[in-house]
Amino acid sequence: MLLTSVVIIIREVLEAALLISILLSMCRQLGVSQAWFKWGVLAGLLGSVGYGQQMGSISSAMGGVGQELSDAGIQLLIYLCLLYSCQQLVFYLNRRQSLNSILFVVMALAIALAVIREGSEIYIYLSAFQGNQESRLGLYSGAAIGLGIGFSFCALFYYWLLSFSPRRAVFFGSMLLTLVAGGMILQGCKMLIQADYLPDGQAWDSSGFLPEDGLPGQLLYAMVGYEATPAPAQVAIYVFAIAVMLATLTLRYRAGINAASPTKPDEQ
Amino acid sequence: MSKLMSTLSHSIGAALLLLAATSVWAEKPSFNLEIREHLFTPSELRVPANTKIKLWVYNRDSTPEEFESYELNREKVVLGGQKALLFIGPLPAGEYPFFGEFNPKSAQGKIIAE
Repeated sequence: MLLTSVVIIIREVLEAALLISILLSMCRQLGVSQAWFKWGVLAGLLGSVGYGQQMGSISSAMGGVGQELSDAGIQLLIYLCLLYSCQQLVFYLNRRQSLNSILFVVMALAIALAVIREGSEIYIYLSAFQGNQESRLGLYSGAAIGLGIGFSFCALFYYWLLSFSPRRAVFFGSMLLTLVAGGMILQGCKMLIQADYLPDGQAWDSSGFLPEDGLPGQLLYAMVGYEATPAPAQVAIYVFAIAVMLATLTLRYRAGINAASPTKPDEQ
Repeated sequence: MSKLMSTLSHSIGAALLLLAATSVWAEKPSFNLEIREHLFTPSELRVPANTKIKLWVYNRDSTPEEFESYELNREKVVLGGQKALLFIGPLPAGEYPFFGEFNPKSAQGKIIAE
């Protein structure tokens, strides 16, 4: 019970933790307010309980694939929120105009949705098995260890990004957020395949080289949505989503430099 | 929040439904799995190869379980006393292990496509 709950909690916590720590660190580096963060987490925690409690009716909706469709919808929304937030921050790097409050709402929404997606499963798991007296100790200590490791990762990424100059931190942060956002699309497509809204298949099999159930595979799965045997449709949409995000970020970076001229962008 | 989420999921679902108007739901062969006392029965499920199937997972326990398979690329939470639908395949002939993520030691099985 102990090991099972550690693994389950880490898998769920890592993904949301990574997203939160990168966004927070980029904001800190750019001197952007971090006050939105607590509202995102709070909304996410409340939403986790609500979503977890409604899982039964969500699951049976849409002919039995409601869980897949709502999951895919949440993941698409997270991708869009990250795309919007990231391009605003990249622009802001060169052109320090006053920031639109929409950015803070969108960043809080990205965090709330990421927490809901992972938190609802933790809620279902913990609330179902806590009634069992003999396994309760293992369940809670496992959950505590899992949360601890997840938050340590969060702190590690946060301070790692803080150790760079703002320009580098925004670059690495953007690249990581692009991978995280792409991972959302990859997993969202997996849900659509499971619901039979996209065709299944196997583009390649890298399970011999990097199995999904090994430690590196599990970590990569939690952080960037790694799949050892993705379907062709999944790969195509993933590549498209990554390309759109990279192109948008590049254009907005240049637009920021142009908007800041004739004064050259400060190197700090 | 949950009302918002369900409205959201419905509208997204409706949009996706339009996209998937071509897929035929009724003709796929259907198979059942049961979860009892954190065990899957049957633990070996034989299905036709190269055919898309509907897999119904009935959870007869009071606790939830997550049907998960790396080989099939599937994961789905099945609440206690409920059933869940997953579409699987078309699978090349072979064996595809699956397990219950909430009870990974006991809840194990495999799908055999032939």
